[in-house]
Amino acid sequence: MAEILTGNELTSGATVYLDVHGNWVEDQQAARLFEKEDAPARDEAIALSKKTQRIISIDTEKVSVVDGRIVPERLRERIRAVGPTAPASPDGENWDRQHLGEDGHVSI
Amino acid sequence: MYRYDEFDAAFVAERTSQFADQVRRRLSGELNEDQFRPLRLMNGLYLQLHAYMLRVAVPYGTLSSRQMRRLADIARKYDRGYGHFTTRQNIQFNWPKLKDIPEILSDLASVEMHAIQTSGNCIRNITTDQFAGAAADEIVDPRPVAEILRQWSSLHPEFSYLPRKFKIAMSGSRHDRAAIRFHDIGLQAAVNAAGEVGWEVWIGGGLGRTPMIGKLINSFVPNVHLLAYLESIMRVYNRYGRRDNKYKARIKILVHEEGLETIKGQVEAEFAEVRGGVLTLPQAELDRIGIYFSPPDFDLVPSTKLDVAREKILNPAYGRWLENNLHPHRHPGYASVTISLKPIGGAPGDATAEQMEVVADLAERYSFSELRVTHEQNLVLPHVDVRELLPVFEALSAAGLAEGNIGEITDMIACPGMDYCALATARSIPIAQAISHKFASPERQNEVGDLKIKISGCINACGHHHVGHIGILGVEKKGGELYQITVGGDATENASVGHILGPGFVAEAVPDAIDRLVDAYLAHRQGADETFISAFRRLGDAPFKEALYGAA
Repeated sequence: MAEILTGNELTSGATVYLDVHGNWVEDQQAARLFEKEDAPARDEAIALSKKTQRIISIDTEKVSVVDGRIVPERLRERIRAVGPTAPASPDGENWDRQHLGEDGHVSI
Repeated sequence: MYRYDEFDAAFVAERTSQFADQVRRRLSGELNEDQFRPLRLMNGLYLQLHAYMLRVAVPYGTLSSRQMRRLADIARKYDRGYGHFTTRQNIQFNWPKLKDIPEILSDLASVEMHAIQTSGNCIRNITTDQFAGAAADEIVDPRPVAEILRQWSSLHPEFSYLPRKFKIAMSGSRHDRAAIRFHDIGLQAAVNAAGEVGWEVWIGGGLGRTPMIGKLINSFVPNVHLLAYLESIMRVYNRYGRRDNKYKARIKILVHEEGLETIKGQVEAEFAEVRGGVLTLPQAELDRIGIYFSPPDFDLVPSTKLDVAREKILNPAYGRWLENNLHPHRHPGYASVTISLKPIGGAPGDATAEQMEVVADLAERYSFSELRVTHEQNLVLPHVDVRELLPVFEALSAAGLAEGNIGEITDMIACPGMDYCALATARSIPIAQAISHKFASPERQNEVGDLKIKISGCINACGHHHVGHIGILGVEKKGGELYQITVGGDATENASVGHILGPGFVAEAVPDAIDRLVDAYLAHRQGADETFISAFRRLGDAPFKEALYGAA
């Protein structure tokens, strides 16, 4: 099972993922996959990300790739990627996830 | 209502300014996250599942219309136009941005509010009966003493790093509407043989992974010695509470492991040292604070009898609201009105900025500008002239706030669960919404009567599931959610912790499971006067277990 790196961007708190270009982005499907043998690269990415001081609560998440899509093992992570699942009001609209602000783009 | 004195205003202003500087230094990189995290938590700022969450204290559940209006303004200006009222009578904003926090705190300070001590291992916001200062059955208004406790516990240097968080609840009435037996310290108003009013002191109650009913440590502490007595308890806890294991760090574990008599002996020894010292509360000071909570200038209302039965025929929604959402007031001709934040299919405890403004308007027009937040996640207009109930109802109806379901099955407590909370292991709000839809019919709710469902999305029990007549606990199992159902909990003066009846249910099966429990109750009750909890106490688990899992 592969892993992805996730965290929250400092200013907005938005959920972000490290992509293959070293950018922290909103799209979980763009996340870089770290296989078991990529552990050194993963650890280096974590260290560099911490050094930016702009990504907090950095963690690894176990994922599978199903039909070309990244599927986190935990429901919690599936919810983090899209926002609350409960309708915000009796009218049935859901809240969108938090988005990065203009100053929220972080790279390593 | 209490108004800040110079000391209050100065310390809130200083703290707001201090945290603004800390945020600035964090954003500029002068502080790293390890340094900043404890500072933001001291100011009520959490990082949750999707964003930051700011928890704002509502001292003893009392709000002015001006404060409510400011909360609405903050919701609209800095958040997504709504707020979430919690089981500790606070409000949470789910989507603030870090750079906006200094301005939010400054706006809060302008109406004498803050987020200090809404997180961390300190004494948290002191909660009270939501009908404090209004209830017909009240022995004493607990708010003057609650305010004094707020002053004592705010930034208390000795109790800022306790073994774990510490929660105090107070009830001025014999009927416990503040769940005091499930707090670290519960204070229950009492009258001694001489007719003096003081406090029963209960300690070691709590929910979470180890639910405990509080134990009576002292049956009467007079006001004059209350601070010294509470300080003595805090010192014993601070000295002997476990710091090696956060799951065993609450005072309930200390009381349980050491025994009440041992703890009582230690508290009494400490009390003997501090009694009569600087913590003595002079009656003059209590009287001075009490003036802030003086009853409003009530009208002399001619005797007005509400004909609820007639109203139920003429306007069923209004009649139902009258029947369920009013609470007897101590002044003739007035009632306390509970505003339900549990519309069918809504998220329990959520209110939009527009709704908050409607409530503030109504408080100004009809309730002497006063409001309360309930630990059951509703709001209260404490002092409404009964001749003005219809316009209040109509204004609430127009704002989607007139659900007449208080105390009924759809008036559920639910924590934010895994839709928002970083600690949750399962979702709570969708479960509450599904149950709400299942029991949407007013006739069905009326038939079932008084039944409290409480839902938590993890073992920390913010949704008070242990004390629900029916409790629902969401847990993670094999990557999915599973819901354990308990029956028989009660947060009142007849406190009890619910029993798990058997294996858990997947989310989709929960509403039907609740329906079967309700059907079992209706089939076995001795009449409509026998409530669910009374029937459970008479019958025991068996019929409810059979309803959920079939005959053994």
